[in-house]
Amino acid sequence: MRQTVAFLLAGGVGSRLNILGWMRAKPAVPFGGCYRLIDFTMSNAMHSGVQQIGILTQYRPYSLMGHIGSGEAWDLIGRRRCAKILPPSTGREDFDWYRGTADAVAQNLDFAVRYGAQRVLILSGDHIYKMDYAAMVEFHKQKKAAITIAMMRVAWEETHHFGIAQVDDEQRITAWEEKPAKAKSNLASMGVYVIDFEFLEKSLAGRRGHDFGKNIINDAIGVAPVYAYLFSGYWADVGTLKAYWQTNMDILTPGSGLNLPEWGVRTNIDDEGSLGDRPPAVVAPSAKIQNALISAGCVIEGAVLNSVLSPGVHVAAGAVVRDAVIMHDVRIGAKAEVSSVIADKGVVFGPACRVGGPGPSEQPNEKYPDHLYSGLTLVGKKAVVPERIKIFRNSIVEPHTTPLSYGEYKPREGAYIRGALPSEGKALGRPSSR
Amino acid sequence: MKNILAMILAGGRVDELSVLTLYRPKSALPFGGLYRVIDFPLSNLEHSGIEKVGVLSQYRSDSLLRHIGSGAAWDMVGSRRGIHLLPPMKGTVSSDWYKGTADAVYQNKDFIFRNQPDYVLVLSGDHVYKMDYSEMLAFHQSMKADVTVAFVRPDDHGMERFGQGVMEEGGEQGGRLLRYVEKPSQPISEWASMTIYLFNADALHFVLDEMMKPPSTEHFGRDILPVLLDRKRVFGYKFHGPWEYSRTIDEYWAANMSLLQDRPALDIDRWQVRTNLDNERVRDRAPAVIGAGALVRNSRIHHGCVVEGTVINSILFPGVTVAAGSTVKDSILFYDTRIAAHARVTKVITDVEVTIGAQAVVGGARRPGANKEYPDLLSSGITLIGRNTVIPVRAQIGANCIIYPNKGEEDFSEKIIAGGRTLK
Repeated sequence: MRQTVAFLLAGGVGSRLNILGWMRAKPAVPFGGCYRLIDFTMSNAMHSGVQQIGILTQYRPYSLMGHIGSGEAWDLIGRRRCAKILPPSTGREDFDWYRGTADAVAQNLDFAVRYGAQRVLILSGDHIYKMDYAAMVEFHKQKKAAITIAMMRVAWEETHHFGIAQVDDEQRITAWEEKPAKAKSNLASMGVYVIDFEFLEKSLAGRRGHDFGKNIINDAIGVAPVYAYLFSGYWADVGTLKAYWQTNMDILTPGSGLNLPEWGVRTNIDDEGSLGDRPPAVVAPSAKIQNALISAGCVIEGAVLNSVLSPGVHVAAGAVVRDAVIMHDVRIGAKAEVSSVIADKGVVFGPACRVGGPGPSEQPNEKYPDHLYSGLTLVGKKAVVPERIKIFRNSIVEPHTTPLSYGEYKPREGAYIRGALPSEGKALGRPSSR
Repeated sequence: MKNILAMILAGGRVDELSVLTLYRPKSALPFGGLYRVIDFPLSNLEHSGIEKVGVLSQYRSDSLLRHIGSGAAWDMVGSRRGIHLLPPMKGTVSSDWYKGTADAVYQNKDFIFRNQPDYVLVLSGDHVYKMDYSEMLAFHQSMKADVTVAFVRPDDHGMERFGQGVMEEGGEQGGRLLRYVEKPSQPISEWASMTIYLFNADALHFVLDEMMKPPSTEHFGRDILPVLLDRKRVFGYKFHGPWEYSRTIDEYWAANMSLLQDRPALDIDRWQVRTNLDNERVRDRAPAVIGAGALVRNSRIHHGCVVEGTVINSILFPGVTVAAGSTVKDSILFYDTRIAAHARVTKVITDVEVTIGAQAVVGGARRPGANKEYPDLLSSGITLIGRNTVIPVRAQIGANCIIYPNKGEEDFSEKIIAGGRTLK
């Protein structure tokens, strides 16, 4: 993997993750108990022997910067090894912000030059998978390719989300369509590319567009040798709330292919910055836990079924948590019922509240019907859910809401519970329009 | 803040802990499902703002060295902070091995005074407790003491194992130390020494230069304190929190099990104890997986555990796996213990990387006979399995048994080890 420098595109806004993405870039969204989405790609890079990785950020990079830290968590520290955050910098023109994925790399080519890169590995930070990039680079070298694209077979009805390729017997790509309405193949791009450095430099120099899929690759087909590298393992794009929840549930499903204990995913736990380390989880005599992921510092007195719990979650006696993704330091009060819920960090569920419910719902969320329609309920960071309240399926509770936010609230499916002050939304990064 | 240097005595083995301290000093003994014993004094130091520490190691220090690492886990790295490991060295006059607390400090005189401390705090690395040493320092300063010794009232028997002090009455926090006897056969006081000594630099100079007469002076408690009382202002400081001595198998087991009580006196969840998460790869392990058929009650578990069977009243360190159909009860399982399918494990302490074979039955008996070889160490029904041992499939190991480390299938000539036996 020497002479291969990686760029990780971590600027994703993750707008379809709704309030989970308001205060953090998509790759920084917590996942699987103690991880963030970007950990999966970072760990793949580490296990593949990548030595230098530049992380291209743009949107709310603070969580991400703290999380990457020195790079030590992924062993990317030393004289030649590094993980560097590369924020946009102004060029010769004012406000030279990144205008697309290829533009982001173009503005940071110096990073690759510095380490004498022969080729670059382009990664994105928001997918859940385990892959050996070294094998892909080896394939790229053997084929003497200009570009190699990691591809996998997807369901035909999913093809319109992806870059789709047709290949010959040698796996050379003969035709390319970006997000086609009617695809001619179901071979889809994973957004992982190996590109020859000289070729990349040339393509970027005369660039007309700013995106890898739409511009760089499209222009190269038929002109330069572009190959498909086939991947066939577990892979999930957690770009939607439904997919985010389902992928967390896959951790709990034997045979799903997502096997956290075996994948060797690493994370940086120092960015929590706590004074003490999280103690072992406490499972009380009254607890009942089945098919669950339990992190350090959890205290379980109630029932936890089919759920993923991040560090420091407290489930009081008599409470039931079912089919839920519960992030750091959430407190679930006595006799509360929380099911099919995604709860962001620091949420407090009051005693005897009932939030969410099983199964689909006819009534999508009233404010974000495109984001929340599958029957999940979403509770934002540090929201305080009043005791005894009922919140039904497809509801969204904004971050930092308090019992005062429920003045006019009538329990219904698809409800949207706002913060007390209208100005709060702006401070929280609430999108001004859908 | 005045310049304080802490010296932790962390080299002692403690024979009474049997196979658990064959490969490590007591200070490196795992405790509470995540920690090592020395994490408690080190975290106390960190929380007390004492950032310069010497750790005196001696017995099998590899495990301790790995655990302490750079000291970053306790935030003790930087230009004016640090943990320095001080193994015994060969001197020109005095002999190499540390012979006691005073001797160990004496041999590191150069290190101590090179740091130009105003105060030197000498601690043991063997005890589990939470204490703010800065409160003890404030007491020491307000009393204009030369030396202050911390005392605690142990709540159970065995007073004859401690140094005991009689303090001047009337002081709530403590008072002038009037009398001190090391391990008296008849108790002279209810206050036992925690082997925590706070010295003014001058007083320590005096002790090391004037009073140390190697080789006859070895221990602060036995050889120095009783004499020092008349020559310096020596005070006793009363500590009121819980303090675990854990010097026998029974005490160690009970202290761990006490963490499972409703409101444990050892409140490690609030103490903000730090440990080195790089050791045993704790930081790289996934959250615990509790399977669909698992039953976990009144237990502690940590990352890397995968539980498919039943776990009751037990403490599982990171990386323990309990296969389907097996039952673990009243046990303490160190890092990476593997319990295979349909095994039964009752009142057992397994050291790191032990494997219990499928359908094996280990420990547990109504009225167990004491261990035949070590009746004083093991009689309450606990079974000890040394590190890296593999208990064969369908083996039966009784209560009060000791199985030594690194045993494999071939070491078990028979599959039944009766209660009270030792396999060396």
